[in-house]
Amino acid sequence: MRDKLSLKPYIVFTFLAIITLIIEGSFFSVLFIRSMVPDLLLIIVVCLAFLWGEKKGIVLGLICGFLQDLFFGPAIGFFTLAKMTAAYFSGLSSREIYKDQIVGPMMTVFLATFVHEFIVFFLVELFWENDFSFFFALDQIFLPRAIYHLVLTVMIYPLLYRAEQKKFFNPSFR
Amino acid sequence: MLNPSVWKVITILGIILLLLSLIHFTGEDLGHLTLADNVILAGFSPLQGFASRAGTSTAQFFRGLFDFGTLQEENEELRKELAIRENLRYQVLELQKENFRLREMLDFKERSEYELLPAEVIARDPSNWFETITINRGASHGVMKNMAVITSQGLIGNILKVSRNSSQVLLLTDSRRAVSALVARSREPGTIGVVEGFSGDSLSLRMINLPPEANIQPGDSVISSGLGGIFPKGLVIGTVQETGMDQYGLLQQALVLPAANFNRLEEVLIVMEFPFEEDEQEIEEFIPESGVNSQEQEEDE
Repeated sequence: MRDKLSLKPYIVFTFLAIITLIIEGSFFSVLFIRSMVPDLLLIIVVCLAFLWGEKKGIVLGLICGFLQDLFFGPAIGFFTLAKMTAAYFSGLSSREIYKDQIVGPMMTVFLATFVHEFIVFFLVELFWENDFSFFFALDQIFLPRAIYHLVLTVMIYPLLYRAEQKKFFNPSFR
Repeated sequence: MLNPSVWKVITILGIILLLLSLIHFTGEDLGHLTLADNVILAGFSPLQGFASRAGTSTAQFFRGLFDFGTLQEENEELRKELAIRENLRYQVLELQKENFRLREMLDFKERSEYELLPAEVIARDPSNWFETITINRGASHGVMKNMAVITSQGLIGNILKVSRNSSQVLLLTDSRRAVSALVARSREPGTIGVVEGFSGDSLSLRMINLPPEANIQPGDSVISSGLGGIFPKGLVIGTVQETGMDQYGLLQQALVLPAANFNRLEEVLIVMEFPFEEDEQEIEEFIPESGVNSQEQEEDE
């Protein structure tokens, strides 16, 4: 039997995404100027896609990627494509991994960050051209960011795991 | 009848193509924002302003906390420095007069001729891939696409997108931005080059396409040339740090340290209007193609 869908979790997620974007863009980027600002939105969407599965993950990726494009993106669809792909990847990987242990989502966030950053690199190359090589980006951007996100997942995933038990943040009635 | 997995692949490819088309059509010269952009950005810009001020206060608090140990020492040094500066003030006044005369001689236009609109920085792109900031002035304040944005220290970029109450500024340090510039010392048309963002180091700029014989050296100031009509002529961009030949050995290039502090962009000024300078046309005619300019100069001498 198909699950009955509820829109409420997606609405809650949209507000969460907007607040996260404001914190990232207006608070963290001022506080940590020239340092690497973590992509909290990516961590949240990857963790939730890990919990909710790949189909719902795509919708989450679409919502938060679109919002990021509106706030900061160079074009509509840019971060949407990157976030949707990372969320899809995360949802797929969750099939084989226990959700109640932290190691699984940590590794998923680590790998999904590479997927996300690779797509951003590819799109910049395709539409504007990067000034640096892929290996420079791999070493200076992808890897540090993936490690940063892996550490932050330890704090963020348990909160989302707990919230997901609540009715308002679970897309399927049980 | 296609099986479900084929449909799945077709759907995924369709979504990717749709998004790539969207990026293509909205990524180039979209000066105005879509309805969704306007609703989101106009609605949330006060909240962004609040978060930005909170971020600045927190950063200042932590900076003050970490610097407490050195404050006494710094206080002593500042007292001594103040005495020296008092003497320097008189020298500066003299230099200002001299500067004024030189400006007249060089036919520089006074900065006060620009109509400036102050704006507050309310957000910065957190993705590390793009160098853009969001400011709290938009179409309702008369802001338009491509207007130059400066600080009291120098040029920082231009307006990329405008919504009702906020705008996105593309900074000079973004690799998508390029400005026609010249060396202030010589002001020779032969030293016109292009200053662009340098992704390898987001704090530096690169001046490229300079003829091999261009008169440029470390310490030279680089200013906007006014070509292209977006940026007024004479805005300070930065100081030359290093010069050298490009990778093909045909043209010179220089590493430029920006005059404006891109780490501390809190308040900026939008150049709403600037007078058109007639000699821009003359400079345009002198853009070097194959060292013709230097030959002409030699002939003149």
